[in-house]
Amino acid sequence: MGFGKYVGARVLWAVVVSLIITTVTFLLLAAAPNPAIREAATQAALQGGDPAAAVERERELRGLNQPLYVRYMDFIQSVYTLDWGWSESRSQPVTEALLQALYYTAQYSIPWTILTITLGPLVGVYSAANMYSWRDHVATGFAFFGYAIPNFFFGIILLLIFGVWFEWIPISYDTSVPVFSLENVRQLIMPVFVLVTGSIGATMRVSRNESAEFQNSDFMKTAKAKGVSPLRAYAYHVMRPTLVPLSTTLVGQLLALFIGSSLLVEVVFGIPGLGRLTFNALVSQDTNLVLGSTLVFTFVAVVGNLLEDLVFTVLDPRINYDDR
Amino acid sequence: MATKKPEQFDRVDWSELSESGRFDLSINSIGMLVATLPLGLLWLYDYLFVGEREATFQAIGLSRNLDPLDYAFVFTLFLFSFYLVLPLYQNPRMTRYYWKEFRRNRPAVVGLGWLGIVFVGGLVGPLLISAPEQSILTGHQPPVFLTINEANVATCVGDVVNGQCQGTWQHPLGTTRGGKDVFAGIVYGMTISMQIAFITTTIVAAIGITFGTVSAYAGGWVDEVMMRFVDIILSFPTFLMFLLILYIYGAGLGMFILVFSAFAWGGTARYVRSKSLSVAEEEFIKATRISGASTYRVVRKHVVPNVASSIITQLTLLIPGFLLAEAQLAFLGIGDSAVPSWGQLISAGRSDLAFAPWIVLAPGIVLFLTILAFNFIGDALLDALNPEAEAESA
Repeated sequence: MGFGKYVGARVLWAVVVSLIITTVTFLLLAAAPNPAIREAATQAALQGGDPAAAVERERELRGLNQPLYVRYMDFIQSVYTLDWGWSESRSQPVTEALLQALYYTAQYSIPWTILTITLGPLVGVYSAANMYSWRDHVATGFAFFGYAIPNFFFGIILLLIFGVWFEWIPISYDTSVPVFSLENVRQLIMPVFVLVTGSIGATMRVSRNESAEFQNSDFMKTAKAKGVSPLRAYAYHVMRPTLVPLSTTLVGQLLALFIGSSLLVEVVFGIPGLGRLTFNALVSQDTNLVLGSTLVFTFVAVVGNLLEDLVFTVLDPRINYDDR
Repeated sequence: MATKKPEQFDRVDWSELSESGRFDLSINSIGMLVATLPLGLLWLYDYLFVGEREATFQAIGLSRNLDPLDYAFVFTLFLFSFYLVLPLYQNPRMTRYYWKEFRRNRPAVVGLGWLGIVFVGGLVGPLLISAPEQSILTGHQPPVFLTINEANVATCVGDVVNGQCQGTWQHPLGTTRGGKDVFAGIVYGMTISMQIAFITTTIVAAIGITFGTVSAYAGGWVDEVMMRFVDIILSFPTFLMFLLILYIYGAGLGMFILVFSAFAWGGTARYVRSKSLSVAEEEFIKATRISGASTYRVVRKHVVPNVASSIITQLTLLIPGFLLAEAQLAFLGIGDSAVPSWGQLISAGRSDLAFAPWIVLAPGIVLFLTILAFNFIGDALLDALNPEAEAESA
């Protein structure tokens, strides 16, 4: 199997996975009572009407009296054509609400991701090169600290210290600040710092342990014997093979963190991004919006896994496409 | 793992060894059965005769109620003691070797000590300390040796010096806004954390090992389909799915454990599969096969013991994720608010952070230390069980 064919198969598989996850979501929703219908029945009962008739009307309005497969086809079609419905709690289309939230999420996610994927391997390889020195111990200690401290807890503590006591950073997030401004940097520095400490630990550990293996390899000895400068030797001969195993774990971990922590960090720091949108939608029982944000995170996860596999094959020419 | 070791090879009682068939129970299994039977009977009694809102031990005058989670927890405790702790006792030589390797990593030993405290505290603590109770009047009490401005407390349990309320030993870690004792809350949270740790590990190990070995031994298209299924499980956004389930159906701690362990075994299954494929190629497996061992016996007696150590390491590194997820949900306040977990306590103290930071700090630090301890131990186990890695670092 050639590279092109492999990519094709992999993309197809990603579509299948996204379809399966969407189907599970649909089944979960279909099996549960819809809060909107309950709401309609309550309203009718309160206003002295007939709750049963109101439920029937609401069901018809929402197309719930159609057979399951029709609803399923309809659901899948609207999911993939981005027709995600109307958000009642925000009085705007779901896709619009999501796009607005994404704007704020991107502002801290992009610096965070870039910092993690550049600093993590660099510090890891550096600490492998100076193994068991005090620098290595400091880096390892930091990695464990960042890995183990719950992000939301760390965020609260930092807000308390730097926001409340020292008043260096603003306590509440200001949406009116322009993206590329000092104020924006000031209010985003803590969320980015918290997320980077959370994610960089794993990256550092993996790259440290993996590159330790290549330090004493034959090709490294050859490179040194030829007189290759240490910088070049580490960049070309240690970094590259290290990135391969790293890339298999990196994307998955970043995504897990993105989904779990972005929600928490946004709630703690008051950033009106995707995570907070999801949280608010959950609290205000806005089914369309809950569904929409779940789908966004799901698609991000699926595409991330896809990219990870593709990067993996590009980075490592030794991988044989025949055994996937 | 043989239970008896003859002194010399020529004194091996072959007839005794060859007798061991599939239905021959080892001392471990007998112990397991003996321990589980009363538990099962108790559960049946609870299920059939005890009313919905009655406590399990009401008939003998105790007010402690057991919910399904408690039964699952006790069951997994039995499993761990008979299939993990007892074998270690039965093989003192290997145990001593593992301990020697493990001891070299000092943070891990400290971590193990900490987890021991959490474990014992979670098991025994709720029996000794009464559950934290609301009492609005004694809210915001400071921890021992600390003080708080009198304006922030309704009544001060300790002495008031210069308008500062002082902490007492009655509430060693202070109280929350509602007057719940933080220390008692942490002890009760230990039980929750241990329940999460033990039950999820058992479920993940059971599904992962079964799925992995079956996939490896079935081969062909069955293997292919099963591994594709694992791919799907791995790319499932568990946290979100749980949020969705929570949103639609509402969910307690039991549901949390089920959902999270149902989507966490993918990595274990993949690992077990690849490991059993490579173990299956070993000479001693071929020898066992030629001697007429069934596939079940090969898997049970040779493959699983050979992958067990790596699985334990992997599971140790999985647990912190579960604890964190539970704390996150509790912090958001969208989990089961009746579960007295650490995350619950952290979220309870968030609004009073500026003047009563101990409500957030105490459970947060305990959570941090627990996660750190699991990571240290996982790291040490990796080194102890992987002689190759050790040779590199030496």
